Amino acid sequence: MKNMPFILGVSGGKGGTGKSFVATNLAALLSQKFKVVLADIDVEAPNDFLLLGLEDPGKSEDIRSFFPIIDYKKCTACGACAKVCDTGAIVMAKGRPPMIMPRLCSGCKACIYACPYDAMLPGERVIGKLFVRDVSTKIGSFKLVTGMLKEGEEHTPPAVVYTKRRALEEAKDKDVLIVDTGAGSGNSIAAALQGSKILIAVTEPTPLGAHDLRAILEIARGNDIRTWMIINRSNIGPEDELLKIADEYNVEKVFRIPYSKEVVLSYAKGKLVVIENPDSEPARVLRRVAEEVSALIRRSLVEVKSP
Amino acid sequence: MATIRIAIPTEKGGLDDLVYDRLGRAPTFTIVEADLDTGEIKKVEVIKNPGAEAGSGAGVKAAQAIADAKATVYVGPNPGPNAYAALQYLGVKIFTITGVKVKDAVKNVIEELKS
Repeated sequence: MKNMPFILGVSGGKGGTGKSFVATNLAALLSQKFKVVLADIDVEAPNDFLLLGLEDPGKSEDIRSFFPIIDYKKCTACGACAKVCDTGAIVMAKGRPPMIMPRLCSGCKACIYACPYDAMLPGERVIGKLFVRDVSTKIGSFKLVTGMLKEGEEHTPPAVVYTKRRALEEAKDKDVLIVDTGAGSGNSIAAALQGSKILIAVTEPTPLGAHDLRAILEIARGNDIRTWMIINRSNIGPEDELLKIADEYNVEKVFRIPYSKEVVLSYAKGKLVVIENPDSEPARVLRRVAEEVSALIRRSLVEVKSP
Repeated sequence: MATIRIAIPTEKGGLDDLVYDRLGRAPTFTIVEADLDTGEIKKVEVIKNPGAEAGSGAGVKAAQAIADAKATVYVGPNPGPNAYAALQYLGVKIFTITGVKVKDAVKNVIEELKS
């Protein structure tokens, strides 16, 4: 029987704080010691592969979501399905079978349970693409799983859940799964972070960073996830507010990555700062984070092995 | 004598209200029952639009409400793709008019329907 991988969540609430920057650099660092899968679950704008300097995110497969099919022999046009459809995806004309609007369907399956005549059948609809590929860097190799929602799709959570599930499958014989989420603090972020042993909240010393940090820490609290915090661009503003919030939510560790030209330059080139400028301060901090995470992973692997 | 029921998205509703500039999020629909031959307005009802407060699928919910109110003609702003498909399926004729009062929109459409 194989153990569950150690799940490391990287999130932060606000967009552009450096979630993907931290996740990609940690993936490379941790791959020196562990078997790593990096899951880019920012399905609305996945671009870890670009930060890693890759031209494409890898071999693709469809992300499918439930979509009802009507059995016209059984349908009596009673309208029960339309009544329960929360997203208004089912339209009823009098005496005619319902019409279903694909874009509006969230895949919740309520219509199947509501239909008294078993006339709703489980079908599927493609809502995005999932990519899997190997990534090799100068310091280590890991697997990258990327979820990508189709443009214009209205519902993010089904794609997030699918990507997470596939990432867990890819990580089942691995040590670590790093989950890089999108911005925000909605239910799709909560779904992505579920099962994390630790959440690294990447934030910045601005009012926006503080506001959204609270939101993401609230999600961690609600899901019983331990939290660390990285203050990115730590030297651009006062951090009092961040530390106050961190204290309030029992954030265990605080790291600071100063704003630096090295990061910007490596970022623009699609190179990892820990490889391009290993002696820079940001690289040093990231290595320290990786070491602390490694200690946690080792402990959890021991815990799992001992009866 | 042929009567028709026309649905117009409105804010407060009524013949003197302006045609609302959105379909899905309009607070109300004014349903006007009129004689197609004489153009005489027989009845005016105002119903709430369930799409106004819907999380998603507002246009579709609005279209459903129009059909449920037994209106066969819609007059208002251009429907979005979902609402358009729903109105088509529900057999509701679509006329695009905005920026005028409900009574003028109705007059216009009745003339259009007669010709």
